[in-house]
Amino acid sequence: MEDRESKPEKISMIKTRLLLVDDESHFRSPLKKRLHKRGFIVFEAGNGKECQSLMKQEPVDVVVLDIKMPGMGGIEVLTWIRDQFPKTEVILLTGHACAADGVEGIKKGAFDYLTKPVELDHLVQKINQALEKQKREEEKKQEAEFKARMEQQMVATERLASLGTLSTGIAHEIDNPLAIIMECTEFMRLLLDKTEDAVFPRKKDFEKAVGKIETAIDRARRITHQLLGFVRQPETVFSKTDLKVLISETIEFVKKEAQNKKVEIVQDLDKVNGKIWSDAYAIRQVLINLITNALAAVNSEDTITVSIKETDLLTKIQVEDTGSGIPKENLEKIFEPFFTTKPPGKGTGLGLYVTFGIMKRLGGKIEVSSRVGTGTVFTITLPRTMKACSLMGDNKDICLNILNTIKGDQPND
Amino acid sequence: MIKIPTKVLIVDDEKDFVEMFSLRLQETGEKVFTAYGGKECLDTLAVEDIDVVVLDIKMPEMDGIEVLREIKKRHPIVEVILLTGHGAIETAVTGMKLGAYDYLLKPADAREMAQKLEGARKRKEEQEERIRKAEERTLLRRTGGI
Repeated sequence: MEDRESKPEKISMIKTRLLLVDDESHFRSPLKKRLHKRGFIVFEAGNGKECQSLMKQEPVDVVVLDIKMPGMGGIEVLTWIRDQFPKTEVILLTGHACAADGVEGIKKGAFDYLTKPVELDHLVQKINQALEKQKREEEKKQEAEFKARMEQQMVATERLASLGTLSTGIAHEIDNPLAIIMECTEFMRLLLDKTEDAVFPRKKDFEKAVGKIETAIDRARRITHQLLGFVRQPETVFSKTDLKVLISETIEFVKKEAQNKKVEIVQDLDKVNGKIWSDAYAIRQVLINLITNALAAVNSEDTITVSIKETDLLTKIQVEDTGSGIPKENLEKIFEPFFTTKPPGKGTGLGLYVTFGIMKRLGGKIEVSSRVGTGTVFTITLPRTMKACSLMGDNKDICLNILNTIKGDQPND
Repeated sequence: MIKIPTKVLIVDDEKDFVEMFSLRLQETGEKVFTAYGGKECLDTLAVEDIDVVVLDIKMPEMDGIEVLREIKKRHPIVEVILLTGHGAIETAVTGMKLGAYDYLLKPADAREMAQKLEGARKRKEEQEERIRKAEERTLLRRTGGI
């Protein structure tokens, strides 16, 4: 979830950390002082080894590195830095007659080189250039990550859509043969009930088998029911909905189960208004799905917290549990139809799939974050204003449609 | 008590379903007729005195709703129970507005089906009873009560 991932932007606030590596202390120390006056945090190292151990302890942004050093040479240190700390930029210092060394260094990945004696302004300029390059690359990387994430999400949504079409089609087709099987079974049951035990020596066995068929039909029927219910929902009816009341009612509904498991369900609703135009029936179904899921994931003494968060743009409902959590490899699949970790016959694997569909229909979205052993948070987001629609990803158009029909933004009271 | 058989007409294009369903209903003492399409259904209704039609909504050629309209036009007293797929509850509602007694989701539960058949037959009987009484009254009036 974004709320948890985003860290405050610190980069501009933090001073740049420099590491000066040179074997001549009479050159190093004055340079350090002068750079310090320019606002840098400066560390120093007298040789390659010192540089390595320092960097292992504390990361630096830029290394100013002398090429000619006894022991470990500058180029060797450079290679090591590029390998271990690819983000750190290196500016090389070369003797005045050794430009070739500098060029070799650039080939090996140094940002640039400067010839000794070094002019301070020149060095500072180079350092700033290196920092800019670093920033650009970081931005590029973030952009690429964002793009990859978006693409992944799109693939996931498309996958869900096609899986949905496919599975509802199958459900329809299965209903007909299922009806036949059911008729046959009912008929057999009827004949069995009419037959005297004495005439039918293995009647008990037959009854048992028919019973199993009946249970299996029931199971298959539950699946097709849920699946087809997802495609053609009853018409969405928007009305003024008090989420606080809705949540309290829903919790009341599952209270008994929670008490049996010795699980506490906490409502964190005091600070919010909680009123929104939406489909109360649909939201109730979403809440029931999420809370029963949470109940299945927790043990005694665990807590489930249901809370509302409101901003000008959005209303969020969070269902948070301190239960077993969802392993990363499952997290991508939980919204897919038929994905379940419950034993066969216990769960249909359709609850979250249906929930996902409902949130789409409401022009909102559902997100999950989870850590194994710590717990899981499901967040459903509903739009409050037209502006919020652009935050709804694929459901943007549905969202705009809905807010248009309820005449613009959500009311505040 | 002797059970009065309900005369049921099953209409569905799934032959196996129709066959098993009719076997079962016969076993429970109903009198069963079958039809595999809308036209056949209307033909049967024209010659047989049917109480309840169990009608599948999704059929090729003439669809269930169309058949229902025709049944209600030609035999308004005959009760109709609709069989629908899960996705098609709206169609069932349309059907009930057109005069169907009730609907059942396919695959339908035997107990539910038995209940609805019973209810449909009762409604038809009561209606017939009311018609009979009304007829009596008109006869009385015409003869002046002598």
